[in-house]
Amino acid sequence: MQLRALDRWVFGFWTALAVMGGVPARAQEAPPGLALGDPAPMTDVKMKNVDGREVSIADVQGTKGTLVIFSCNACPWAKAWEKRIVALGNSWQKKGVGVVVVNSNDPGRVAEDDYATMQKHAKERGMSYPYVVDATSDVARAFGAAHTPEAFLFGADGKLAYHGTIDDNAKEPGKVKTRYLEDALKAVAAGREVAVKETKALGCGIKFRPKA
Amino acid sequence: MSRPIAWMLAAAGIALASSAPAGGAARRQGPVIRPATPRQILAAVRAPGARAVVLNVWATWCVPCREEFPDVMRIVSAYRGRGLRPVLVSADFDDQVPAARRFLREHGVDFPSYLKSSDDMEFINALSPRWSGALPATFVYDAGGCLEYFHEGRVPPLELERAVRRALASTAGRK
Repeated sequence: MQLRALDRWVFGFWTALAVMGGVPARAQEAPPGLALGDPAPMTDVKMKNVDGREVSIADVQGTKGTLVIFSCNACPWAKAWEKRIVALGNSWQKKGVGVVVVNSNDPGRVAEDDYATMQKHAKERGMSYPYVVDATSDVARAFGAAHTPEAFLFGADGKLAYHGTIDDNAKEPGKVKTRYLEDALKAVAAGREVAVKETKALGCGIKFRPKA
Repeated sequence: MSRPIAWMLAAAGIALASSAPAGGAARRQGPVIRPATPRQILAAVRAPGARAVVLNVWATWCVPCREEFPDVMRIVSAYRGRGLRPVLVSADFDDQVPAARRFLREHGVDFPSYLKSSDDMEFINALSPRWSGALPATFVYDAGGCLEYFHEGRVPPLELERAVRRALASTAGRK
């Protein structure tokens, strides 16, 4: 991705400041995110699916890759992308990519993020993949997930191949120019290197449950 | 015209336009929120005249944004007289702008306020490559526009106040 001169300057400036410790930034709660090439953490943790069964990331692992998306019911960005997430999840699950969507939000903070509403969303939207509850928010913490929706795509080798957003226009699907996640899924499924490995979008901060 | 000068002029234009007297109807709707690119927002941050700047990115639907807003406004009120410039950027979608204006009115906002109007990734990385994009996000700059402090998620008020005082003090130390 080409950066213009100013962007390169801005990026370099802040990066240099950060390296020098000149920016006392504070992350919300999540530790720094997984790095590209890292394996998925906490893959054996069982999480309650909308169908009542307990499902882990290891359970859904696909032969061509595994997609873990942190999302929720209430966030406007999650809602804006929901149809596209469902379409991608349902489609790629059939093509050998394991898919699981994880809700790590504390429903004590946002009532709409409760289990019953998850079940309703899953049924109404026709999700054919697990939509599970991260009951301690520790899975999100382990991934370093910060907001919803946030996608982590692992290759067939189990290494993180893509991290970021769904596409470049949450609000207006008709104006999407780059389908980041779909492009990454195509590459991973074909065993190719993902061209754009990390992207960002605005989103709702995950409402972490208090640490035990 | 060089780019920095053009940005400063653009920022000054936005600031002047935003400070124009509002009519009764406008006052009822709340302060004007002007669409702005990240460059225009950063130009507003770096425009001369402030001894420190606090920039808060928020949205009406964002629970922690609403929760922290009174604390942010309290700190703005306490330090504005000492040269702190507040810059608010709403990340609401276009159709939520009326609700955003009502929210600002209810919280007594009487200074320029902006609406993010660009691609998310460009906006996020322009403000800080270290920002994940989660809301809210709060940035404190010194008088030279250098980032002194960044926090994503609900900002701890004591931490924010310390950062503001540090930015103001660093400016005073250079004079």
